[in-house]
Amino acid sequence: MIELDQVTKTYDGKNVVDSVTLSVDKGDFCVLIGPSGSGKSTTLKMINRLIPLSGGTIRIEGQDIASVRAEELRRRIGYAIQSIGLFPHWTVEQNIAVVPRLLKWSPKRVRERVESLLALFHLEPGQFRDKYPHQLSGGQAQRVGVARALAADPEVLLMDEPFGALDPITRDSLQEEMRRVHEETGKTIVFVTHDMDEALKLASRIAIMDEGRLVQVGSPREILNSPANDFVLDFVGQSDLGLKMLACESVETRLEPAASISRSAPIENIRSQFGQADHVWLLSPEGQVEGLLTEAPGGQDDLDRSLRPLGQESHATPEMSLKEALSHMVWRKTGWLPVVDGDGRLTGEVGLSKVMERP
Amino acid sequence: MKPNRVIVTLLVLALAATLLLPFANLAENRLVSGTPYRFWSALTTGQLVAALALTVSLTGMAVSWYKRPVLNGNATLVCCLCLLLLVIYAAGDFATRSLEDAGPAARVSLSSAFWAQIFCLSLMMIDVLQRMTRSIFMQVFFALFAFAAVMLLFFSGALDQLSIMREYANRQEAFAGALVQHMMLVISALGPALVIGVPLGLLALRRLRLRSGLFSTLNVFQTVPSIALFGLLVAPLSALGEAVPLFRDLGIRGIGSTPAIIALVLYALLPIARNTYAGFAQVPTAAIEAAQGMGMTPQQILWRIEVPLALPVLLSGLRIVVVQSIGLAVVAALIGAGGLGTFVFNGLGQYAIDLVLLGAIPTIILAVLADCLLQLLVSLSRRKGVT
Repeated sequence: MIELDQVTKTYDGKNVVDSVTLSVDKGDFCVLIGPSGSGKSTTLKMINRLIPLSGGTIRIEGQDIASVRAEELRRRIGYAIQSIGLFPHWTVEQNIAVVPRLLKWSPKRVRERVESLLALFHLEPGQFRDKYPHQLSGGQAQRVGVARALAADPEVLLMDEPFGALDPITRDSLQEEMRRVHEETGKTIVFVTHDMDEALKLASRIAIMDEGRLVQVGSPREILNSPANDFVLDFVGQSDLGLKMLACESVETRLEPAASISRSAPIENIRSQFGQADHVWLLSPEGQVEGLLTEAPGGQDDLDRSLRPLGQESHATPEMSLKEALSHMVWRKTGWLPVVDGDGRLTGEVGLSKVMERP
Repeated sequence: MKPNRVIVTLLVLALAATLLLPFANLAENRLVSGTPYRFWSALTTGQLVAALALTVSLTGMAVSWYKRPVLNGNATLVCCLCLLLLVIYAAGDFATRSLEDAGPAARVSLSSAFWAQIFCLSLMMIDVLQRMTRSIFMQVFFALFAFAAVMLLFFSGALDQLSIMREYANRQEAFAGALVQHMMLVISALGPALVIGVPLGLLALRRLRLRSGLFSTLNVFQTVPSIALFGLLVAPLSALGEAVPLFRDLGIRGIGSTPAIIALVLYALLPIARNTYAGFAQVPTAAIEAAQGMGMTPQQILWRIEVPLALPVLLSGLRIVVVQSIGLAVVAALIGAGGLGTFVFNGLGQYAIDLVLLGAIPTIILAVLADCLLQLLVSLSRRKGVT
C-alpha cells in the first residue's frame, strides 16, 4: 500500500505538485493521468525518491520512505521508463539481473529468475538471454525493461509512460500483456500516462491531475460517468471516449414508454394519439412495429405517406448497447428507435436525448 | 571480376618511381654528392628476377582480386611482405658489394625509389589487411610480424654497410639512450595530461557554462606552433627556477626535459579533455536514469555504466595524444630535452640526411607501433553490445 500525504514539490517558488493526497491499495493498478506539465511524472519520481519531496510524506506499507537509504528503497521498487534505458553494453540477461545482483542473490537464483521473467513476457529464454539491446525491436526492448523492473520481485512497480514511444500495434499488445502480468503477479502498480484509452484499458483506479493538483480519483466507470468538473469532462472526452462509454451501457437503462397504435385502428383514433405524444409507433395488425409517425396523418390515404418505415433491422433490444442503438439512429436519421422483445413486440423506445443524459 | 584499384594504383606508382628515380647513391664520402644507381643496376640478376616474379604475381592478384578474396588476400600479404624484405635486403647487399673495394669514407645511402617502394608496399599491406578481415587482432598480429621480420634483417648484419646503419653503428649507445629518453618524455607527459585532462573533461560535462571557454582555451595551446611553445616556456620557467630553489632542485628550469614535458602536457590536454567529455556525454541519459531508479549508487553508476561506455572514446583520445606526443617530442631536442630529435637536429645542422633519418625513422616506427597497440586497446574496450 502506498500513501501520499500532502505531497508537494516546489521548483523556483512554483508548486509543480501541490499537496497531493492519494492512497493506492495493495494490488491496485493506479494510473496517474493528466496533460503534460500536470505533475504526474514528478509525483511518480517522488515515490522512489528520484526527486526529493518539498513537503508532505510518502509511506509504503506504513514506512516513511525518507527513513530508508534512497538506493535501498529503489531496489524494493520496480521502475520502468518510456526511454527504457537498457544498458547497451550488457546482454538481456545481465540487464534483467541488475537489481538481483545488487541484492546479492546467488547466481543460480538470478539465472532462474531471469528465465521465468523472460517466459512471463513470452520471450524465449534460449533465444533472447544473450542478445544485446541493439538487437531487440522496440517492443521486445520494453518487455525486457519491464521484466528488469520486476526482477527482484518488488512490492511496488512504478511505470513512467512505458509504452509512449511504441507504435500502436506493439503498444496494444504490451498493454494486453501488462494487464495479464498484473493479474498473475498481483503487484501494486503506479502507472503514468497521458493516454486516456490506455488508462481505461489498464487501470483499476484512475487519478487525474491538473497543474499539480489531484482533480479526481476513482474507478474508470466513476470517472466516465461522473466527471468531477469541466476539466475532467474535457480531458476524458478525447477522441471516441463518448462512444466507449456508451458501449458499456445497455438500451435497458434508457428505456422509455412508447405510444403506439395499430394500423387497423380508425384514422381518428390515430390522429387523437397526437394529443398526448409528438410521435407514435405504428404497428401492423399482427403487432409488429412498422414505422414511426411524427405528425398526425390527414386521412387514411395519407397514412403511408407520413409513415417513416423502420424495419426489423433497425429495432433495438433491451440488451443492445447504447453505442449500437446510437449508430442505428444516425444511420436511419431518426431520433427514436423502437425497443422490442424476443417476439418482436414493442416494449418501449429509446430516444437520442435520453442517450445523451448521464445516468 | 574487378581489379583492386588501390593496389593497382600503388603498383603503378612504385613501378614509375623504380623506373624514373635513383634507388641508391654511392659517394666517396659524406660531403660529395656521389653517383646515383638505378634499381636494376643496384640489384644482382637473381634479386631482379625474384623482384620481377613477385611483382608479376602481385599484379595478377590485384587484377583478380574479387575472385577468391580470402585466399588472394593472404597471398597478396605474403607477396608484399616478401617484396618489402627483398628490397631492403637488396639495398643492404648492394652496399656490402659496392663498398668492398672502396675507401673507408665511401658510403651508400638510400634514394627516392627505395623510399617510394617501401611506402607503396606498406600502404598495400594496410589496404589488404583492412579489406580482408575486420578483426583488429589479426591486423595487429600481422603488423607486429612484419615489424619483427624487418628487425630480424636489421640485426642480421645484412644492412650494416648502408650509410644510415653506419651512422647508427657510430652512435649505437647514444641511440639507445635517445630512444629511451624519447619514450620517457612521452610517458612522463601522459601521466599529468591524464590527471589534468580527464577531470577537465568531466568538468565540462557537469558545468555547461564552463565548456566552451575551457575548450577554446585548450584550443589556443593546440594552435601555438610547437617550436614556439617550447621556446616560449624557456623564459618563464628559468625565472621560476631561479626564484624558487625548491623548483630548481626538482628540475624546473628553462631548458631540459621539464619544459618539454610541460609543453607536451599542454598539447595533450585538448584531445584528452575533449574525448573524456565526448565519451561521457554519449552515455545515454536513459541508461543513467534507469540505473538510478533501480538503486545503483553514484559510484556503481560511474564504474559499471558510465566508464565502460565512455572508455572507447576516451582511449581514442589517448591514442591521438600518444601518437602526437611521439612526433612532438622530436622538437623537444631543441631545448635540450634529448630524445630522437637530437639526431634530427644534428643531421640538419651538418646536412647529413642519414643522420636525420636515424632520428626520423625510429620516431615513425615508434608512432606506428604505439598506434597499433592503442588501437587494439580501443577495440578491446569496445563492448560487444556497443557498435
